[in-house]
Amino acid sequence: MDYINAENITFSYDEPEAAERHEVLRGVSLGIRKGEFVALLGHNGSGKSTIAKTFNAMLLPSGGKVYVDKMDTQDESVLYEIRRRVGLVLQNPDNQLVASVVEEDVAFGPENLGIPPEEIRRRVDEALKAVEMYDFRLNAPYKLSGGQKQRIAIAGIIAMQPDCIVLDEPTAMLDPRGRTEVLDTLHKLNREKGITIVLITHYMDEAVQAGRVIVMDSGRILTEGSPQEVFSQVELLKKHQLDVPQVTELAYRLKAVGFDLPGCPLTIEECVAALEPLLKKATVGEAYGDH
Amino acid sequence: MAIIETKNLTYTYGQGTPFQKTAVENINIAIKQGEFIGVIGHTGSGKSTLIQQLNGLLRPTSGTVLLNGKDIWEDPKKIRSVRFKVGMVFQYPEHQLFEETVLKDIAFGPGNMGLGKDEILKRARAAAEFVGLKEELLEKSPFELSGGEKRRVAIAGVIAMDPDVLILDEPTAGLDPRGRDVLLSQIVTYHKTRHNTILLVSHSMEDIARTADRVLVMNAGHAAMFDTTENVFACDRELEKMGLRVPQITKIMAVLKAKGYPVGTALTVEQALKELIPLLGKGNRNHD
Repeated sequence: MDYINAENITFSYDEPEAAERHEVLRGVSLGIRKGEFVALLGHNGSGKSTIAKTFNAMLLPSGGKVYVDKMDTQDESVLYEIRRRVGLVLQNPDNQLVASVVEEDVAFGPENLGIPPEEIRRRVDEALKAVEMYDFRLNAPYKLSGGQKQRIAIAGIIAMQPDCIVLDEPTAMLDPRGRTEVLDTLHKLNREKGITIVLITHYMDEAVQAGRVIVMDSGRILTEGSPQEVFSQVELLKKHQLDVPQVTELAYRLKAVGFDLPGCPLTIEECVAALEPLLKKATVGEAYGDH
Repeated sequence: MAIIETKNLTYTYGQGTPFQKTAVENINIAIKQGEFIGVIGHTGSGKSTLIQQLNGLLRPTSGTVLLNGKDIWEDPKKIRSVRFKVGMVFQYPEHQLFEETVLKDIAFGPGNMGLGKDEILKRARAAAEFVGLKEELLEKSPFELSGGEKRRVAIAGVIAMDPDVLILDEPTAGLDPRGRDVLLSQIVTYHKTRHNTILLVSHSMEDIARTADRVLVMNAGHAAMFDTTENVFACDRELEKMGLRVPQITKIMAVLKAKGYPVGTALTVEQALKELIPLLGKGNRNHD
């Protein structure tokens, strides 16, 4: 069994005035393995945020089951165990910080777990170092940049020593520098601490860095696989008005007009490597007078 | 003559206090009527402080903002009329919706301009159409709409005032790729139809590359660059030093050029294809 297991889950938000129930999830089954870095893509309304919220029992499925570390999220007696294992970071950092000093904010979670003060001190320091915000521990959160605030929110989760962090568009409100800071932090936590990461994002450059990509559409899984497997399906993604990285589209369209490019490049480096042999051939031909 | 011009524009927050901080310093820019300007810069670079002075929400500490050649603070009592001429759509504008119906919310701005009732409604309906809000939504409560629809209502509310200059602060932030594409193309169509001036503030270099004629780069309170979109994005290294980047497609063409291949610059995938296909065509095509 995977670390998180969603088994054929459905979900509808209760809207008493609505004539028909709006099904947000229509039978989704997926597993998240321990230590994975998974990116969850899809349009607004595709169900990706809803499914992520079922991973720490913020929402309970209307039908089907979600298991976290073999525990049923519908079993209220294990609610705190689940929430301690799976932390949630949301889009707007300003809505998630509660204290007036950075280190107090990070200590908020462990304090509620009834952990002894010395242990809290140790965890807070470690968490702040993990997100590279230790030097800011005595600052006021409101004076930090968006990227720094999100890293404080992540530190607050890390101090709970979770197995898994679920992030719902954590970079949507950040500038390019803030986005890089947050993404680098997540990869470091995944690599060095083995923390499982589930990242919901609209940014394809963030998704290509994941180990696995799941694309949601209309409450179902549209496709999933390695970034290569998913983004090579340019037609399918375009049909659903989803983005592919610009270099992937470039290679795809060059192939479509008959050029023989290997593989499915996702990054600038990969695309340069794919193009260079062809460019060399073309420019050498020119240099030697292709008459 | 420029529609908007700044002369030695400087803004200092908390002047005379221990927290004094100069956010914008000595900005001299001129924007022509009908231009589509992209504004980029990382958080804290002074973008927001700058644009809030362009429509008189902030009064410069020193220097002037000229609208059609006239200092907007010449008569402070008339600053309201400047705000009708220079419309501002804030970040996450959907948080500012408040009326009972979508139509009333859109009509609120023009309603304050002393227009007749028919004219107000005419403008509100035209603005709704511009941003692609369907007729049947107009009598609904704005709070029943989806996030993307709410944002369009907020933008329509500013468009309905028919501003000569429209400033949009991150209009696509938080929208999904489909919502972003639709909204951007509506803004471009609006610009083409009305021939007004647009300033688009965005963290998305791809959005800027697709829409702007010229790009203003803010860095540490200064106007670091103000040039055509092509020329600005040709400076990928300088932009990276400022915590910014260029579109991926622009970057790959720059990398290829640096490696010595005879390729030009590109802002979009189409432009890159135009560069690469003829070049690669020499002996590489499968079924040629």
